[in-house]
Amino acid sequence: MSVAFSDAGRKEFERLLARYPEKEAVILPALHLVQKEFGYVSDEAIVYIAGLLSVAPAQIEGVATFYTMYNRKPVGKYHVQVCRNLSCSLMGAEHLIGHLSRKLGIEPGETTPDGKFTLSEVECLGSCGTAPVMQVNDEYHENLTEESIDAVLDGLP
Amino acid sequence: METVLTTHFADERYRFIDTYRGFGGYEALRKAISMPRDAIVEEVRKANLRGRGGAGFPAGVKWGFLPKDMSRPRVLVVNADEGEPGTFKDRRIMSRAPHLLVEGLAIACYALTIHKAYIYIRGEFVREAGILDEAVSEAYASGFLGKDILGSGFDLDVTVHRGAGAYICGEETSTLNSLEGKRGWPRLKPPFPATIGAFGLPTIVNNVETLSDVPWIITHGGERFAALGCEKNGGTRLVGVSGPVQRPGIYELPADVNLRHVIYDVAGGLRDGKKLKAVIPGGSSTPVLRADEIDVNFDIESMAKLGTMAGTSGVIVIPEGTCMVRALRVLMNFYAHESCGQCTPCREGTGWLRKVVGRIEAGEGRPRDIELILDLCDNMMGRTICALADAAAMPAQSFLWKFREEFDRHIRDRKCPYGNRF
Amino acid sequence: MPSLTIDGKAVDVPVGTTIINAAEKIGIEIPRYCYHKHLSVAGNCRMCLVEVEKFPKLQTACSTVVTDGMVVRTDTEKVRKAVTGVLEFLLINHPIDCPICDQAGECELQNYYMKFGLHKSRFALEDKVRKKKVQDIGGQIVLDAERCILCSRCVRFLEEVTGTRELQFFRRGDHSEISVFPGRPLNNNYTGNLADICPVGALTSKDFRFKCRVWFLKAFPSVCTGCARGCNVEAFFKGDILYRYKPRVNEAVNRAWMCDFGRLEYKKANNARLLVPFVREDGREKMMSWGGLLPQVAYRLKDAVEREGPDAAAVIASPQSSNEELYLVRRIASDLLGTKNLAFTSRVPGDGFSDGFLIRGDKNPNSRGAQLLRIPGGPAFDELVVKIAAGKVRALLLFGDVLGDLTQEETAGLLSMVPFVAQAGTNEGPVSAVATAVLPIASVAERGGTFTNHAGRVQRFHAGFPPRGKAKDTIGFLTSLANRLGAGWAFDGEASVFRALAATEGPFAGMSYESIGSLGQEAKG
Repeated sequence: MSVAFSDAGRKEFERLLARYPEKEAVILPALHLVQKEFGYVSDEAIVYIAGLLSVAPAQIEGVATFYTMYNRKPVGKYHVQVCRNLSCSLMGAEHLIGHLSRKLGIEPGETTPDGKFTLSEVECLGSCGTAPVMQVNDEYHENLTEESIDAVLDGLP
Repeated sequence: METVLTTHFADERYRFIDTYRGFGGYEALRKAISMPRDAIVEEVRKANLRGRGGAGFPAGVKWGFLPKDMSRPRVLVVNADEGEPGTFKDRRIMSRAPHLLVEGLAIACYALTIHKAYIYIRGEFVREAGILDEAVSEAYASGFLGKDILGSGFDLDVTVHRGAGAYICGEETSTLNSLEGKRGWPRLKPPFPATIGAFGLPTIVNNVETLSDVPWIITHGGERFAALGCEKNGGTRLVGVSGPVQRPGIYELPADVNLRHVIYDVAGGLRDGKKLKAVIPGGSSTPVLRADEIDVNFDIESMAKLGTMAGTSGVIVIPEGTCMVRALRVLMNFYAHESCGQCTPCREGTGWLRKVVGRIEAGEGRPRDIELILDLCDNMMGRTICALADAAAMPAQSFLWKFREEFDRHIRDRKCPYGNRF
Repeated sequence: MPSLTIDGKAVDVPVGTTIINAAEKIGIEIPRYCYHKHLSVAGNCRMCLVEVEKFPKLQTACSTVVTDGMVVRTDTEKVRKAVTGVLEFLLINHPIDCPICDQAGECELQNYYMKFGLHKSRFALEDKVRKKKVQDIGGQIVLDAERCILCSRCVRFLEEVTGTRELQFFRRGDHSEISVFPGRPLNNNYTGNLADICPVGALTSKDFRFKCRVWFLKAFPSVCTGCARGCNVEAFFKGDILYRYKPRVNEAVNRAWMCDFGRLEYKKANNARLLVPFVREDGREKMMSWGGLLPQVAYRLKDAVEREGPDAAAVIASPQSSNEELYLVRRIASDLLGTKNLAFTSRVPGDGFSDGFLIRGDKNPNSRGAQLLRIPGGPAFDELVVKIAAGKVRALLLFGDVLGDLTQEETAGLLSMVPFVAQAGTNEGPVSAVATAVLPIASVAERGGTFTNHAGRVQRFHAGFPPRGKAKDTIGFLTSLANRLGAGWAFDGEASVFRALAATEGPFAGMSYESIGSLGQEAKG
């Protein structure tokens, strides 16, 4: 199976290349782009951008697996990431993770059978003053309660 | 109290350049480019501005580390990789006042003859990266960035670069590796970034808040900024308060504000009539304080005397009824998760601490586990390339020293007295 | 020149020297895993921590450059505790499967464990992080990720030496591991070095795996015969069997590396050896004794010269022979037989691959030596082949196992034009399949001498054990042959030949085994 950026993606990639003095610096932005275009970072996508940047695929894999935001496996349409660090825990994050688990019928790390939701526990999201917090895809939802979680998730198409 | 940063934070439109300029924005840059470069650096030195990223290194001194030789181009990297648990101040600046940062970095670049700046922002801050991108575009369009800034002949190019989920990338040499497209492994020092930094070039790495202070310093003078703070730390600081207090949030306060005042007056004290049990004063890495230790000035020196640190000024308030073993377990999970894996004592030590603290909390602790934890901490601290091992060991040690009886009880009773929950 | 003291001993070192190397200079070995003299400094294993006066924290000896007046201590309680701590950290997730590990006996985890007496085993109780074992990652290497201590030597080797970057760190924290990308195995010609530089049993050699416990092996210094580079090697053997080659450090030749082809060259000393002298009569092989065969060879050569003139005899020398052997061969041809038919060729069957690093296109260790000893090569060889093909050669003395790059059929066809072909060789091959008389000679592991590499560097190789079977040391055989042809030689071993050679051969003038030493010496010209 081979992959390739869309025309827009390709254009964005070219723009990135021009922004940095060394092409390896494009690896992180390129992996963000891969994830935006394909939903996750597949082996094929790694080989693809390794080719575009003329680096070894292992080098891209080393980078992709170092950073937590790159999903090396497919995730649900909505990636629900709940902070479990201290400020959020003091404000009830454990309880809310339990709530999410029951609501979605999955444990953290799992994806619903319909592929709609993946639930993850993550480390500090830098939103400690508005804890507890979760990120659904790119968007932050702060000062969470069971009710606000229900409202957010139930409102997703 | 006079404020440096947050004066207009309440104005939703302050993040746009027109509103920002309406409040006098970019006048500091205009003033700076009429000044001799050395004079700008001198103002920052006089301001007694210490880095706001956690280590508190004097900014003016750091700037002075750049080699005198101008044959190689220099780089500024803005450290916007805010990730220390309990810390959320830079995010606030970037979302409310991105132009403060852009103007501050432009002044710094002008002063240091730097023509390329990168803002390294943590990957999760998608919204803030978007706001910064927009602010940078506005600044280009208004002639505050790009070619021939304000007719001065000075050029500056700014790139917003997103991280991808790694606490360690807030360590400045790790930031540089990450910016270069590598795994975020801290570098051996020397060489220091001022000599060999981003892409092999002399580089200054400054925190968001640090640079955001610079426009005010240029407008009002270094001495006036210095006077806002205390003897060894000029200006104000953004203090973040989190945990179950009445008014959690970011507050701009003098550098030597009293810690009890921060918790009970500024943040309104604890919610629901809870009592205070402990405070982590400056981000999760800083040693914990008991409730009876907080009547102290929150400046770098006073905190050091108490065996802890002001750090990032991220105050985590822990109420009575919290299991300190469980709280430490959360932190140990974090450091084990975030260790880059490069140095042996940190890679293995953080993982081992996670296991031992985890089993104590689970009621499976062994009689000599406390001794083991303290010995592991001793074997980790000061033994690694960067400070992450210390950052993990310091909370572990301080939790044990100050709440030893809770750990003993978990081990003795073979269960968590708080029922394994927060 | 900064001068410092380490554990109370004073030492002067050049500017820029690191503590680890300054210590080595005065015989203090500071423990290390990630540090490797031929790779960049990583500083990540933290084994080489030492106390440096005026520094509050322990410093890594591998990365700390000495300054004048520096006071270093490697033997304090603080250092010992730190190093023991690192060792313990390395062992918590290590499988401790030494009984089934090939590295046992040359494992730096084992060695330092013993040295630092880490016998309290609080790490043995811990749940270990599980990783993949026994992965064939390509080339000559098997990877056991659980044994890996993440020192990064292999990653740096593949970045800095081969530039191929197949192995990288994946994941982070205590889940970090090194591996190749799926479907992208090791793809370079230097993979064997990875097993050498791996301080533990994570990267082991597929070829050597489970063949022999290392403590049963003995080693001797040798030179690889796989090409004209002449990589310095350590040859490991038990009894009369070679088990492996490892590169021996020689900065001027191969630094600390060798190629994967050369690494398997040792097999030639073990397999398909010619071990008994024989003659081929009416297509049948008849075993002979040296005492029976040698006079026959001398007689047939002399007879050809006497009957049809000196050019009815011919000698084909081999660039696989040592300088000493080639010198004697030339003297036999020129002085004793008086024939002009003396030549050699560097051509061998195969493609003559070269890579601009270590691998040379010339697959012989001593073509340069043959040239310097004035044995005609190139066109002279082709002219001799033409003469042989024309049936003008009646007796041929041929060294080596192949005849240039001729195929088995071509070799057989050509040699059928010569009534008497005596081969002095080590291995079965196209020549031994058709020669009239086969004289089995000692392998490179069974005899000593010197080779001159492509750059003119004269390097010694040594006999590790006596010749197998009835194979004979070449110098002894050549001396007997020469004396049967009327010489009065009294050579006794390669050293005596080299002395004679150095006295008369310009490029080698003034050289001796002492001056060549263990790392070689450049010939003149």
